[in-house]
Amino acid sequence: MVFYGSGEPVIALEKVDMRVPAGQFASIIGPSGCGKSTLLRLVADVTEPHAGTITLGGDTPRAARHAHSLGFVFQAPTLLPWRSVKQNIELPLDVVGRNSAKRSTRSGAELIELVGLTGFADALPHQLSGGMQQRVAIARALVLTPDILLLDEPFGALDEITRQRMNLELLRIWSESGATALLVTHSIAEAVFMSDQIYVMSARPGRITSIVDVPLERPRRLDMMRSPEFFDCVNRVRDGLFGHQQSQVATASEPVEAY
Amino acid sequence: MASTPSLAIFRASWRPLATGMMLIALLEAAKRFHLLPIFVPAPSEVVWEIWKTPRLVTANLVPTAWKAAAGYSIAATVAIAAASIAVSLRALYGPIYNISVTINSVPIIATAPLLALWLGTGTQVQIAIAALASQFPMLVGTMQGLQAADSRQRELMHVLSASRSQTLRYLLIPSALPYLFAGLKIAAPSAVLGTVTAEWAGADQGVGAMMLYALFSYDTPKVWLSVVLTCLLAGAGFGFWAAIEGVAVYWRHDVDLAD
Repeated sequence: MVFYGSGEPVIALEKVDMRVPAGQFASIIGPSGCGKSTLLRLVADVTEPHAGTITLGGDTPRAARHAHSLGFVFQAPTLLPWRSVKQNIELPLDVVGRNSAKRSTRSGAELIELVGLTGFADALPHQLSGGMQQRVAIARALVLTPDILLLDEPFGALDEITRQRMNLELLRIWSESGATALLVTHSIAEAVFMSDQIYVMSARPGRITSIVDVPLERPRRLDMMRSPEFFDCVNRVRDGLFGHQQSQVATASEPVEAY
Repeated sequence: MASTPSLAIFRASWRPLATGMMLIALLEAAKRFHLLPIFVPAPSEVVWEIWKTPRLVTANLVPTAWKAAAGYSIAATVAIAAASIAVSLRALYGPIYNISVTINSVPIIATAPLLALWLGTGTQVQIAIAALASQFPMLVGTMQGLQAADSRQRELMHVLSASRSQTLRYLLIPSALPYLFAGLKIAAPSAVLGTVTAEWAGADQGVGAMMLYALFSYDTPKVWLSVVLTCLLAGAGFGFWAAIEGVAVYWRHDVDLAD
């Protein structure tokens, strides 16, 4: 993937090779500008790769997009301000048709309940807090039972308390949906808590430097964040991000970031 | 929170109404104490003109109003259609925009007599000039509005694999409405002023004709009456669209800042 700006063309992604088994939860973590979001946008067929291929269960991203198999949650809620909560959640149904086979078995009202917004069905986006708006965006991504759920730092703007609750909610919703999930995040602890595998990326050019498998069993519980396995994974991701020497200094001087 | 619509209207309008009343009273007092030049009549003299010859007001106000409305409707139809074409066909964007800017820069006071020579002094000249005078804000408003949806919202529709017409219906038209209404509001007084100016170039009836006759016969109260009528008509056009905008663009909200 190459970006052409005013100066020299910038290679955004290079030598990215990843394979996520169906039904698993994978995370991509890396510094700002390493191409995490670009990678996700390639998978979603928002942009096209300069070289290389992406396959989603045997299909191209374009075929998957046209088959409405993708659920995408952006960094910002990206709600339509003139639509109520319920109408925003049902936007994909308006596009695909109310009788689509892709339609979730859950009704609009059930999805609203699932993301904890009962009583807000008729509220307009500007009447909700940022966290509530993001939950509407998540419900919207689930209204069509996606095969692949793409999450671009969906909780980046939330406070830690809301974020932890949303992580648990998302894992519950994901395990019920059976979708394959790909999460882009800045938080090491969030990546470890949510994922089966973590792809660690470095910047300029963006490439995958290491892969960390998370052995924690499912369903995940908050007390697992105190387990040695959890800390071990956090440290391995840290090593992947900062290099072993630097991260030893870092872990010695400050406690491991775990919410 | 306003409890009833009538109370809300009262709350919004009592200040400007009171200010207007005060100014009129001040003007009246100043005239009574001979503080104003001879060519500025007292407000009571202007009102007396209406009282004396109510036929004069209606006979001139009605033709001007309908000519302005006809020209305005033509301009709205053409401007909105042209702007839609400009936004969907990039090659025509520049030419359409430039033509509109040029028409808007032409001095009406000079073109009105020329157009009268060409089209005759009938109502068609006044309607044409009302259209030419009011087209620009509606064209710019529609152009800006149709491009107002942000890139995230466009990506959302793309990931949902929405068709062009669905994107137009669910995203582009609603996000254009605030800009379109801004254009419609600004254009309404321009249509009235355009009509009045065109009536100067030769019309039997209309506020502009009344203004011209009064000017030539040094009938200052009648000149001021025609000025007031022009203001009222222009303000009514603006208020009409402002009222519709309040209902149609219901998701716009004001931020209440503490004093």
